[in-house]
Amino acid sequence: MSEAVAVNQETEMEEPVFDPALAEMVIEKYKDIPGNLMPVLQGIQDEYGYVPKAAVGLVAERLNVYPSQIYGVLTFYAQFHLKPRGKYIIRVCMGTACHVLGAERIRETFFERLGIGHAETSQDRRFTFELVACLGACGMAPLAMVNDETYGKMTVQKVDEIIKEYSSLPL
Amino acid sequence: MVTLTIDDKQVQVEKDATIYEAAKAAGINIPILCHDKKLKPFGACRMCLVEVEQMKGRLIPACTTPVTEGMIVRSSTPPVEKARKLVLELLLLNHPLDCPVCDKGGDCDLQNLAYDHKVNVNRLNDEKFHHVIDYNNPLIERDQNRCVLCGKCVRICDEIVSRGALTFISRGIETKIGTEFDGPLSCEFCGSCISVCPVGALLARPFKFKSRFWALQKKTSVCGYCGTGCSVTLGVKDNKVLTTVYDENQGFHNGQLCVRGRFGYQFISSDKRLKSPLIRKNGQLVEAGWDEALELVANRLKGAGASAAALATPRMTNEELVLLKQLMTQQVGSANIDHSAGYAHAALTEGLAKSFGVAAAPSSILDIQKSDLLLVIKSDAYETHPVVGFEINLAVKNKGVDLQILSDKRGKLGKLPKANTLLHKPGSEVALLNAIAKVLIDENLAGAAASVTGYAELAAGLAAFAPEQVAAQCGVSADAIKQLARTYAAAEKALIVFPVGLAYPAHTAQLAHAAANLAILAGKLGKEGSGLLVLQEKNNSQGAVDVGFVPGNGGMTAQQILDGCLSGSIKTLLVAGENPVVSYPGQSKVKDALQKVDFLVVADLFLTETAQQADVVLPVCSYAEKEGTYTATDRRVQKVTPAIPAVGQSRTEFTVYGDLIRALGGQAPTTPADAFAQIPAYAGIEYAALADDGAFAPVAVKPALVLPVAAATQVEAGKIALLTGAALYHCGTMSHYGEGTVAACPEGYLELSYADAARLQIADGVEVTVASNEGSITLQARISLRMPEGVAFAPYHFAINQVWSGAVVTSVTVSK
Ligand code: SF4
Ligand code: SF4
Ligand code: SF4
Ligand code: FES
Ligand code: FES
Repeated sequence: MSEAVAVNQETEMEEPVFDPALAEMVIEKYKDIPGNLMPVLQGIQDEYGYVPKAAVGLVAERLNVYPSQIYGVLTFYAQFHLKPRGKYIIRVCMGTACHVLGAERIRETFFERLGIGHAETSQDRRFTFELVACLGACGMAPLAMVNDETYGKMTVQKVDEIIKEYSSLPL
Repeated sequence: MVTLTIDDKQVQVEKDATIYEAAKAAGINIPILCHDKKLKPFGACRMCLVEVEQMKGRLIPACTTPVTEGMIVRSSTPPVEKARKLVLELLLLNHPLDCPVCDKGGDCDLQNLAYDHKVNVNRLNDEKFHHVIDYNNPLIERDQNRCVLCGKCVRICDEIVSRGALTFISRGIETKIGTEFDGPLSCEFCGSCISVCPVGALLARPFKFKSRFWALQKKTSVCGYCGTGCSVTLGVKDNKVLTTVYDENQGFHNGQLCVRGRFGYQFISSDKRLKSPLIRKNGQLVEAGWDEALELVANRLKGAGASAAALATPRMTNEELVLLKQLMTQQVGSANIDHSAGYAHAALTEGLAKSFGVAAAPSSILDIQKSDLLLVIKSDAYETHPVVGFEINLAVKNKGVDLQILSDKRGKLGKLPKANTLLHKPGSEVALLNAIAKVLIDENLAGAAASVTGYAELAAGLAAFAPEQVAAQCGVSADAIKQLARTYAAAEKALIVFPVGLAYPAHTAQLAHAAANLAILAGKLGKEGSGLLVLQEKNNSQGAVDVGFVPGNGGMTAQQILDGCLSGSIKTLLVAGENPVVSYPGQSKVKDALQKVDFLVVADLFLTETAQQADVVLPVCSYAEKEGTYTATDRRVQKVTPAIPAVGQSRTEFTVYGDLIRALGGQAPTTPADAFAQIPAYAGIEYAALADDGAFAPVAVKPALVLPVAAATQVEAGKIALLTGAALYHCGTMSHYGEGTVAACPEGYLELSYADAARLQIADGVEVTVASNEGSITLQARISLRMPEGVAFAPYHFAINQVWSGAVVTSVTVSK
């Protein structure tokens, strides 16, 4: 058994100190382009790995958009993240085929080992865990992905291997 | 025009009308839920589906579909009814059926529609929503469980209020209405969102469980706060005003109100209202009867002549002011009458009186949306007159009106699309306007004005105001000044707007001359959507001017009256509704004066800071308890009638001053109509015929160009320039007694720039001591992007007169 405890790490994690310079740079780049809200937000996410709250205030001020409206956009599109994310994004497919072949066990194992559930990030910001719908490779079910790497025919043992592999990489 | 057929009826409408509007014009009611006549079509709820012959095979939303020639519409067929019923069943699926305890019950569109469509069983079944109800602020309850996602709140907060506090969050079944990061609502609390919410998702908390909607009597009235003169409907039960009721058809503003109008009503039925007259006996104010109090006052006034004086609030009705004026000038024999500290009305009584030959502004609030260009002097126009601010929002956003702002700090209006703000140094507005006038003359943009009286003197006098000369003093580049002059001149219709009031000592006669000069020079007068509009502070500021409640021949101004109290030449002072201790400049002087004067009578609703110093306090009625007229800032005369009987033993001032006139042997008009008939400015208006929309008293302009004096303002080296002004949530000091307004803004504050805050190491929210030569005061610091470096702002409603003695700019130090 892993030592991890089941707490919602996400709410407990402190956000890193916000450095406005990167956001300013992105805003500057798109400043005079009409319809610049989406590219600015995407650019900010690229820079910080997520969209920090303070950046929303800054974008609202600079682009003269309501902060509420920005938040609406950020919550409408699944691509945006409002919390810092891990370096390695683990996705476990919960689609029908994967479900039938034991995806639930895979999810549980990751949770036991890392202590993070759906949309949560480990304290050291190494891993973010996400459940997703069919990844379109049902033939390899049950399926997991780490960033762009695909892992088919997942087993509990493979979970441990994956965790070991990525835990040894630099942060 | 387009002709179409709806339910076999021929209808003719404008070509840009929608099917819904056409049906409405024909008296056919198509049910709606997400549509609102004030907002842009949205088409989200599908309640308004109809059949259109030419678009067979699907149902058409009436609220978004434009009419076409020959269209044949059926508003109520079996498929239509079936579809509407399904829409309702879907809405009721997750919606809690807690109508018995929902304040919206009886006034709820969803309830009414379900009733109309007989949705008594639901074929579908699902879990109810379980959103957490937001009780984070004292004024607006947000219960997302009841929300039908019509988007009206989001749209009104954006389209009309321009605050954008609410938005759609997430998507699909998760969608809800909320704020950024789901935080507490922090907004203007205008309640516009509540007023348009078709269900009980947004509710006014002060009204919770006060009355069922159908048990309320709805009484129309006029808001008692600012000079906008918004129409309001008061919700009355058991002789108490319990709420304001939204009526989208009321007034030029379609029922829109600001926080003061919407939530500031509680002062009317407040427990703090004076219950009976008070007389000072052995140093204490003790309860007394009216007879005793009036006899005392009458005896003091009898034969007092010029040793008596009166200061009145422009919140009294015109008729009450007529009576008080008669009492003072005829029975007492004193010309010492004034209002608004004597200077806050000078823009009209001196400024426009000379520049236009009439102490009133020629344009109306209705001109705002008809203009091509608005030149707003001081961004505070939004805070002082929020519903006028809504008109400006609509003009700029929907009609593409160009917005130019001259201001000593940034403000909300400056965020409107393409708005251009010229940020100038505090106190330099007259010089700036003079420079614009000079450009108009020098660049031959004022050709037609050459024959106007005073042209030559003005042209000569403006020699010292070349843009290059004043640029440094104003902190605005010469090019920007020239550009503004050209833009202003080029607009076919241009309207200048500026606020005046106790907190705006720079906005006096000289500013009025300077602004009037621009309108005259550039030929902007006499056209719809063009000219000049002065936003006056109180609900009857214009009326007080029209009645002539100003010093008569040889009479003393408000400041001279206070000096007279100090020197002993004024022995009896009657203060009717003003609260000089808090709102006139120089608190210590005011207090001394009221202390020194032999006999002080205060007529008010409350035991105000001023009333506490009185020898006799007379409890008088609020606007909801009396009959009479108020004149809004654009000379719109509006009538009020009592919504409730007088509270406690209070009496209308019409009765009080009438009784005093009679006690002193005079004859007083016996009805408000008689008193109204004595006001020459309203000669063409018949009191009895005044209806809900009121009537405009004419303003005949005889233009004259007057050279304005631009006083120099100096800030002491190393000090910060303190500006006074109005806070959005307050108007004068009466709003201190409207619980809603206090809930939204409980105390004074000091707005500081980031640069100054950093230099002084002051963090947002900490208490700071603000000190001037006059005194010092403790305020909460607010660090704000809108303040330029070296400039600070404090709202005046909270006794800023402890450090402010009426100067345009006060040099202060700020410390922790
Ligand atoms: S109260 Fe006014 S400002 Fe606040 S959310 Fe509602 S509409 Fe917007
Ligand atoms: S809160 Fe009310 S106005 Fe806003 S979307 Fe929901 S139902 Fe409509
Ligand atoms: S305070 Fe002024 S703007 Fe607000 S509702 Fe009253 S009259 Fe209208
Ligand atoms: S169900 Fe998992 S990949 Fe298709
Ligand atoms: S009223 Fe037409 S779609 Fe909502």
